[in-house]
Amino acid sequence: MISRDTQVEDIVKIPGTVTYFIQEGVSPITCSGAYPQTLGRLLEIKNVPDPDAFIDGLNAFLKERSLKGEESRTP
Amino acid sequence: MKMPRPMDEGYKMLIGGEWVNAGDGKTCSSYCPANGELLAGFPDATKEDVDAAVKAAWKAFDSWKRMSPPERSGLLLKIADLIEANLDKLAMVESLDNGKPIRETTAVDLPLTIDHFRYFAGVIRAEEGEAVMIDDNNLSIILREPIGVVGQIIPWNFPIAMAAWKIAPVLAAGCCTVIKPSSTTSLSLLELAKLLNKVLPPGVVNVVTGRGSGAGQYILDHEGFRKLAFTGSTEVGYDVALAAAKKLIPATLELGGKSANIFFPDAPWEKAIEGLQVGILFNQGQVCCAGSRVFVHEEIYKKFLSEAVTAFKKIKVGMPWEKETQMGSQIDGTQLEKILAYVEIGKREGGRVAVGGSRATGNGLEKGAFMQPTLLVDVDNKMRVAREEIFGPVAVVIPFKTEEEVIAMANDSEYGLGGAVWTKDINRAFRVARGIETGRMWINQYNNLPAHTPFGGYKKSGIGRETHKAIIEHYTQMKNIFINLSEQKMGLY
Repeated sequence: MISRDTQVEDIVKIPGTVTYFIQEGVSPITCSGAYPQTLGRLLEIKNVPDPDAFIDGLNAFLKERSLKGEESRTP
Repeated sequence: MKMPRPMDEGYKMLIGGEWVNAGDGKTCSSYCPANGELLAGFPDATKEDVDAAVKAAWKAFDSWKRMSPPERSGLLLKIADLIEANLDKLAMVESLDNGKPIRETTAVDLPLTIDHFRYFAGVIRAEEGEAVMIDDNNLSIILREPIGVVGQIIPWNFPIAMAAWKIAPVLAAGCCTVIKPSSTTSLSLLELAKLLNKVLPPGVVNVVTGRGSGAGQYILDHEGFRKLAFTGSTEVGYDVALAAAKKLIPATLELGGKSANIFFPDAPWEKAIEGLQVGILFNQGQVCCAGSRVFVHEEIYKKFLSEAVTAFKKIKVGMPWEKETQMGSQIDGTQLEKILAYVEIGKREGGRVAVGGSRATGNGLEKGAFMQPTLLVDVDNKMRVAREEIFGPVAVVIPFKTEEEVIAMANDSEYGLGGAVWTKDINRAFRVARGIETGRMWINQYNNLPAHTPFGGYKKSGIGRETHKAIIEHYTQMKNIFINLSEQKMGLY
């Protein structure tokens, strides 16, 4: 279960999460690498109006992907 | 051609002139993004490691700051010579760790790196200070003194060049540094550190490695720095600025961009088509000042787009270590995923893929993070793909009618880092260059980033200028020595 306190570096290792972030208007990765603090802090910097909805959506997205058995990415 | 392996199997951090593992023994790994192969391991620094590096830097600072400019300049020149003597190895390590083509690291990244050290060697020899008689009795002397120990964090897109951008002026200014590369691309700085350690006194340059949330955050939190310097995303830039503000120390930031590459009907045609490619395909589009918004005058739009599409289709995407490769792999799978997500967003917003738009596959590319050179058309400047930094070989192409219109569109961005105008009319070139709110405007070229030309951003693209003597001000403090030469009392008391 991902929460505000989950490190973004750990989240982006999960296949498909970057797609969710980008679709929702938040880039978790850039030329410095994955954002180096918590998801809560990233959502604060990006002025996401409803962080809880974002996080709920992310968890639901991941649950749906795992139910579909959707897999991974390139190195 | 089989992938070469010039790097060590494992690396250590450089702290106080010694090679050390992380205090708790933890490591990170570097992989080649072109094929997923493990390249090398390196330490994941602890808080105590960063603290040791800061202490080593302060220990070195007292004598380093007193070294005369001729001596310091001589060391900078020696470093440049050593890098040049090891160019081929460093270029290959960089290509394998980052995914960029060997022809770029050999002809661009490494020469720029070498020249940076030579440029700053010259800057400090030419520095003459200032002195002025304020009146008959008062002499004002202005000196610049090194600020102290600085913390520096660099990104993965140009690892060794960014290291040069940070380390060369630090050394020139008489400061000492604790510098951290991206955990995605640490190897070239660790190789460079081997060369620096042959030349510099222990502790002047300390290299700590590891995760952003680990070593990176420990640098931001440490109380021992007198300044922070960061190149990377605007999001992390906020955190760096905040960390500096909490300690009341300065920070220089080179952040993101969404730069405008603008083509007028009288652009030098073939050079302009190449300039479009240089703007968005160089380094696989992973450039903070990439020309990712392409504005083309409506008079030439159809012809320009047609030739651009043809040119993009001919780009040789391939393994980074092969000499014919023009575009290598993106930095990793997550970055590729981000780029592809933006292409989908562009389509959903009403845009159309004119060329590319998918992963590049075939000839073994499936194992790596390869993207096709891509142009999105039928896009307007308000769409997300025209406003957000994609950081890949994806440009949006937007027609315009007038100078005023294109200047307004170029400025309708939260960023202001780079940009270019292509025209033979010098008056128009200057009007457009001056009208756009950005720190660098190229005219009839793109992505040329030598030392001797100040580079940095307006707006959310950053604070401060690098690649120029102007950066020395950021690494020094101004001391005013104000002397009264009269032997008479003032008569006040």
